[in-house]
Amino acid sequence: MTTFPPHNLTLTRTVTDPHIVHIAITGDLDYDTSEEFLETVAEEMDARPELRELHLDCAELGTCDSMGLSILLMVHRRVTLAGIKLYLDNRQPALNRLLGITGTFRHFIGEPEGGEVPTAGSETRIVHPRDEN
Amino acid sequence: MESFAKASDRTRGTDDTGAVWEAAPYPVLVVDAGGAVRRANHAAGALFPAVRPGARLADVVPQWLAAAHHRGFLPHQDGHGTGAPPPAVIGPVGDRTYEAHPTRHEDGSVVWWLVDDTDHRLASDALRVERERTAFLAEASNLLLSSLNLERCMDVTARLAARHLADAAMVIAPRSGRRHPVTVCTMDGEPRRARLGVDPSDVPGLAEALQGFPPVPSRWIDPDSAPDWVVPDGFGRVGSMVVTPLPGHGVPAGALVLLRRSDRTSFNDSEEIFARLFAARAGAAMSAARLYAEQASITEILMRELLPPRLHHVDGVEFAAGYRPSADEERIGGDFYDVHPASVDGQESLVVLGDVCGKGLEAAVLTGKIRNTLHALLPMADDHQRVLRLLNGALLDSHHTRFATLVLASAVRRSGNVRLRLTSAGHPAPLIVRADGRVEEADTKGMLVGALPRIETRTHTTELAPGESCLLFTDGITEARGGPLGDELFGEDRLRTALAECAGMPAEAIVERVRMLVSEWLGTGRHDDMAVVAITAPRGAHLSAVGGHGPGRFTA
Repeated sequence: MTTFPPHNLTLTRTVTDPHIVHIAITGDLDYDTSEEFLETVAEEMDARPELRELHLDCAELGTCDSMGLSILLMVHRRVTLAGIKLYLDNRQPALNRLLGITGTFRHFIGEPEGGEVPTAGSETRIVHPRDEN
Repeated sequence: MESFAKASDRTRGTDDTGAVWEAAPYPVLVVDAGGAVRRANHAAGALFPAVRPGARLADVVPQWLAAAHHRGFLPHQDGHGTGAPPPAVIGPVGDRTYEAHPTRHEDGSVVWWLVDDTDHRLASDALRVERERTAFLAEASNLLLSSLNLERCMDVTARLAARHLADAAMVIAPRSGRRHPVTVCTMDGEPRRARLGVDPSDVPGLAEALQGFPPVPSRWIDPDSAPDWVVPDGFGRVGSMVVTPLPGHGVPAGALVLLRRSDRTSFNDSEEIFARLFAARAGAAMSAARLYAEQASITEILMRELLPPRLHHVDGVEFAAGYRPSADEERIGGDFYDVHPASVDGQESLVVLGDVCGKGLEAAVLTGKIRNTLHALLPMADDHQRVLRLLNGALLDSHHTRFATLVLASAVRRSGNVRLRLTSAGHPAPLIVRADGRVEEADTKGMLVGALPRIETRTHTTELAPGESCLLFTDGITEARGGPLGDELFGEDRLRTALAECAGMPAEAIVERVRMLVSEWLGTGRHDDMAVVAITAPRGAHLSAVGGHGPGRFTA
């Protein structure tokens, strides 16, 4: 019997200066934890009007499913509106792969992923996001 | 009353202790072996106005006390003056109750010390009633909450009310259609259900209760005004009646009518308040059951709407699909697919396969929106990018970032081959199995729809020769967890290997093969939604006489 082990989400905040906050994500961003994550980020933004950079440290990020990605998109939308720059630091291959497949890599990272865009054709093969790492 | 003041008459002589016990706050009587009162203090005089020294006890105190005194001197008791005192007794004096404690005096007489027990009695009676009620409410809550079926809740409510609160009870739900669903139960009977086309205003206070207004006190209700349909057959004459609303979540869940026979005491205030406490629990349970039933019915309707269409051959192209919903029964998953056959032979058919983020109602609603929007955009299906951009614009919402990933596949038969245009919008790229068993990933890439203001996609065009297939799939397939150790992903490599063995197979067989392999991989494990669609160029003869260029018919 397979069960998905319940990973609790732990968020660890580090403030280096009034303009920069690092939040380390440990655990899964999924259907069950994404709301809590969004609330935490919103609280950080409210508490720090001086904030200019929000770094999400993804080194210990476990599974990020489509709800997790949806919340990352929401965080990106909110911080960008507030003039804050979002960084996804220490991305692991699985996250890069998710961003690659969903076409959101450039949206989050600001640069095209890897080698990018080979010419179209029946026999061509694109650089798969999984292959970048 | 005058005699109370003459303390000296009662006490007959004063010794040192006399003044003390004369003033004692508890009634005290000294009675000799013959049953004559020897002394009585002031409090005793107040309690028993006729008492005075020399009076016969039986003439001045209630029978229960005189009898207790008498028992203390029966022959089987020890001799005068040395025996044990008679036992303590309790009994009523007027509307109060007293405990009478006897002690034996050295001269053989008995001193009766009386303690007013009324308040203690009342308190312990009240406590017992409260305990019974609390236990009953706890039992009621357990029984009511164990069912999310409205009719069951009504049965339980009627049965409990008839057993514990009244001689008969009727639960009336708000009108559904032209009738009121009701459940009736008598004290020793079983609940019976009916649907009655009756006018609630026949019963005083019922129409108001069904609207959720506070209950009318039962003493204002004439029990003879109860119409026949409220009174169970053979019940007899109604002595008293209570009508109380069953408050639900915001809307009334119905009303409860309690009946007692004329030979029983009518409902008092405390019983009516208690009936309301019970009704609050019953109403909440019925309301929850009804909300659940509504939600279940909505879910069912949506699920029915979302059931994938049956696929078949369309204009010389084979389609087959498989869908396995998540085992997580409470939630509708987010996978979907659709096939829009060409309206005219020789035109493209459009296949859509997608995955909506999230679960449940919100996912179902978003899925419905996507399917409807794509249907409306069919006339533009020759430009996948345009379709996806318009879809993206239609789905964008400033309040959330729920998105969908999907693949569009337009397929049409050309010269014995199937020409395919494939566009992924943030979705895993389709896989193509060539006739020789090579497996290619379609060179299409794009951004998910519904969350970002602008999206870009790149379409891949290819041809399938007879016997070649293209597989669209959701990540429920590649992310199926199982295998020998139970927690390994099925993965794209295994999917490719499986497909390589499917070269030349018909679409149905490919879908079946993939489903079977993934099912085996999963074992009994949990899984997400899984959907696959296979598009195959059938090996068949060209039946048209138009040189293989125009529209034609093919057999599989």
